[in-house]
Amino acid sequence: MSSYGVLPTAARGILSSCRAPLRDASMAPTLSTFQQVRGLKVKTKGKGKNAQPGKKSRGPSEYVQKNLKDMPQWALCDAMRFIRATEVGREPTLQKYELHVRLRTKRDGPVIRNMLRFPHAVQTESRICVICPPNSKAAKEALAAGAVLVGEDEVFEAVKAGKIEFDRCLAHPDSVPALNKAALGRILGPRGLMPSAKTGTVVEDVASRVEMLRGGTVYRERDAVIRLPIGQLGFSPEQLRDNLRVTLGQIRKDASGLADRVNKEIYEVVLSSTNGPGFSLNGEFSSEDSPDTSLMRGV
Amino acid sequence: MVNLFKRLRKLQTILQTKVGTGAAIFPSVASATKEFPAVTRLHLTYARKIDNGHMGARHFWRNCLPRLKYHNPGVGMTVKQTDDQAGPAALTIYFAAEQAGKAAIALANERKVTDSLAPAPEASEQSVVLDLRNYTHKQIWDRVQLMTDAKAVNPTGEDVAMQQKLDAITKRSGPDRERVKSIRQAKADQERMLAMARGEVEKV
Repeated sequence: MSSYGVLPTAARGILSSCRAPLRDASMAPTLSTFQQVRGLKVKTKGKGKNAQPGKKSRGPSEYVQKNLKDMPQWALCDAMRFIRATEVGREPTLQKYELHVRLRTKRDGPVIRNMLRFPHAVQTESRICVICPPNSKAAKEALAAGAVLVGEDEVFEAVKAGKIEFDRCLAHPDSVPALNKAALGRILGPRGLMPSAKTGTVVEDVASRVEMLRGGTVYRERDAVIRLPIGQLGFSPEQLRDNLRVTLGQIRKDASGLADRVNKEIYEVVLSSTNGPGFSLNGEFSSEDSPDTSLMRGV
Repeated sequence: MVNLFKRLRKLQTILQTKVGTGAAIFPSVASATKEFPAVTRLHLTYARKIDNGHMGARHFWRNCLPRLKYHNPGVGMTVKQTDDQAGPAALTIYFAAEQAGKAAIALANERKVTDSLAPAPEASEQSVVLDLRNYTHKQIWDRVQLMTDAKAVNPTGEDVAMQQKLDAITKRSGPDRERVKSIRQAKADQERMLAMARGEVEKV
């Protein structure tokens, strides 16, 4: 990991000698370690400036990755057992297993942003709105695919009146000028519902995208972490494993798609839930003490 | 992503679900006797607020049910929270037998209650309903243990050591909080003093 690629060799030597204690520092959460680390950082900055007058130090170019050596890691079944215990008594279709994938990546540059379809659908019901000229072929197809709200002006009026009764919003390219004219960005933007070609929500083939969204989910990388729901609490370990495999496979594919511009690898995979704690996974399916998988389904 | 220290500390607390009140294993189909048949399901109904003695039932859900669920992953547990304070606070225990044990029936008959929100027992099941009103969660747990003959799980050496460590952290947190408070207070005082001094200069 060369986080100081931008600095000259001499500066790199100084920096690495200063940073070394930070890397190998004990994970024990004591205040004194923190203070020491902070002091070191300040020193590093000053030396970096001396070595390169005029150039402002911008901090490490990669996200800092904590050493995972003191973080206990679990097999999938054991993590599920704890999560099911903490979520006991809650509605199994409403509570979701969540996946947090921590990446080793640069602080700037392109981010992973995609959508995927699970073998076992997570959302029980996802309401989708499609903005396209009413009575067009696309509108009919979208309705057939399961969109709840289709149209142009009626949708704009409903949104302006504050009635947003959908979780996803798509648009047909023919309607984009009308959409921009309606100036809904202020309302839809903060909710992440504004259609744009960048997020893949402005498409020609609206119907197939509606179908994909109903059984899948969209995800994106924020601060080197991808978070997405991957299962209902009632899922069996096998179902969750299938979804997990598909998700990680897709993220690896996304990362290799960006390989010519930036290098991204999966650093840590954490399984969590709506109200539960996060468990770092070790990649195993079950361990010796985990209960029979047939017991871990339903409520 | 959440700081690693925070995550670890929170996890360590939650991992203590393995031990404490309610950490016990119900008799399974293999170890069941006629007096204490296997437990298949539990259902808890209680009202949202503590009026009319609903507090113990909610604490039972919060404290005992996660431990029970951890040690009995195959036993289904459902909880229904109502807004009706006059309604029942009841725990329904479902046994895989034609007849529930004598101890269970005796305890359930002490105070009779009907819970219309609990699912009806299936053909192979028999259920008893325990009234939880005005009991603390420990009292509820004692009764459940008597009714089902659940075997308590003893904490291992590791669990005990971890509990002692967490207790020590909790004990230290009080003085630490005081110390940090005094530091922040001193800083705020000095800033206010400086601001006042500046204000006087401007007035002059």
